[in-house]
Amino acid sequence: MKIVSMDVMSTGVIAYYVLIASRDGLFSPIVGKVENPAYSDPVPQAVILTAIVIGFSIQALMLVGVMKLARDNPTLETSEIEKNNTP
Amino acid sequence: MNTMTIAWIALPFFLGFLTFIFPKLNRHLTLWGAIASFAYGLQLFFEPSPIQLNLLDNFGVTLQADQLSGYFILTNALVTAAVILYCWYSDKNAFFYAQTIIVHGSLNAAFVCADFMSLYVGLEVSGIAAFLLIAYPRSDRSIWVGLRYLFFSNTAMLFYLVGAVLVYQTHHSFAYAGLKGSPPEAIALIFLGLLGKAGIFVSGLWLPLTHSESETPVSALLSGIVVKASVLPLLRCAPISPELDTIVRIFGVGTALMGVSCAVLEKDSKRMLAFHTISQLGFILAAPEVGGFYTLAHGLVKSSLFLSAGALPSRNFKELQQKHIDTKIWIVLVIASLSISGFPLLSGFGAKVLSMKNMLPWQAIAMNIAAVGTAISFAKFIFLPHATQEGYTVKPGFWPAITLLIGGLIAGNAIYLQAYNISDIIKAIATIGIGWLAYTFIFKQLAIYIPRFLEEFDHLMGAMSLILILLFWMALA
Repeated sequence: MKIVSMDVMSTGVIAYYVLIASRDGLFSPIVGKVENPAYSDPVPQAVILTAIVIGFSIQALMLVGVMKLARDNPTLETSEIEKNNTP
Repeated sequence: MNTMTIAWIALPFFLGFLTFIFPKLNRHLTLWGAIASFAYGLQLFFEPSPIQLNLLDNFGVTLQADQLSGYFILTNALVTAAVILYCWYSDKNAFFYAQTIIVHGSLNAAFVCADFMSLYVGLEVSGIAAFLLIAYPRSDRSIWVGLRYLFFSNTAMLFYLVGAVLVYQTHHSFAYAGLKGSPPEAIALIFLGLLGKAGIFVSGLWLPLTHSESETPVSALLSGIVVKASVLPLLRCAPISPELDTIVRIFGVGTALMGVSCAVLEKDSKRMLAFHTISQLGFILAAPEVGGFYTLAHGLVKSSLFLSAGALPSRNFKELQQKHIDTKIWIVLVIASLSISGFPLLSGFGAKVLSMKNMLPWQAIAMNIAAVGTAISFAKFIFLPHATQEGYTVKPGFWPAITLLIGGLIAGNAIYLQAYNISDIIKAIATIGIGWLAYTFIFKQLAIYIPRFLEEFDHLMGAMSLILILLFWMALA
């Protein structure tokens, strides 16, 4: 559950980047027929692509770890797992 | 020179890839990667001016390599090489070595980059690879410790990302220099990410469990260099404006005191070393101008301490007092403990004197207390009973690794020879003497156990939000 909530948080961050990018306009920044449209800033969008990929891979990795843990702790309560695994 | 820098950054990743193709060559490839970094780090010191690189136009990746990053790169190379030598005869498979060299490469990248986005990528890659190293034994406990680490660092980095975009919004660039003139919430968010990832102050309480429950070589790598990746950007941010400098210094003092007070009361050798990592990070931050040299001294000493603590028969100091440990290991422990307490002839001394010289007056008292605390806690190692034991053997890779690290410690003296004057030597010996006396008469009998509830998973997350509020007020003030 916590991992899913982390994903929600990372989606929020991504949405924020997109929001910042679109503050000046909504047109995609491609050369076209319209003269000087209010186009959006391409840099944050380009940069957040990296973060999406990294967030996704971390998500996958953590879920695999949780699957391993689930064999011995089927309820997956963090407090229980923590109690069993701290010295 | 520019081509060489790029080739050097790409080399570890390429070697890591090759390791999967030729699993037989794993140790050799990784070691060559570390040697290449060592050579590159050394030649940075002879470079007349810092190397500045701007790849791909205006919004591309910016790199900056100067003496400060030179120190970090040298530490990285030496620690990685020692860890590989330590594992040379073990049955670790290619996967382990590949992850080690990838951690090494991503840290190198984080050390030379000069904008927030490249730093983010470097830190995240190092976090993922460090998770894989922690979880390498695939026991339940190691997976849990790894997951906890990954979850915490990823959440901290999300806060950091929000801060980075706020900086971009103000200056239309991700460069470090943009932190000046950014809104206070941007500073607070970025600092929260870096402090959390580096394990500084209260947000660093994830560190003791992670570092003490990992395998010996992995904890040497984590403590020696991985946490330092997020310290370097803090050091780089400090000179940008006086306000940031004050924030970094305050956190340095707070961290040093907190780490050392936990370490003095700790009864478990590996946990004590981990708490010391926290306090030494404080020393690095307390004098941001000269943090590089301190990092080198600390990285070498901490990895040799972790490697030799792994060779001890027990982790509990009470049990160690009953048993006799082998004299050869004891000598290594003594040399390393003396260096970290700042005894002359070892580079820990020069680093400590240099840092103390660059501190502000209000910091000096607190840091001297912290230095005495360091001496107290390492007296636990020095006063262990020891005897020559027949037939006692350590792992075959232990001695080459330790020779490299201790050799580095002695050679490191040459960097700051001005430290050797009468008053500083007397002060260093007096600090250690007071520490040892305090240990013998007070702390040896003391049996206070620090409650560990703050290290629980939920509390770690809660502490992170409290630190965020604190940082915001500090940035606003």
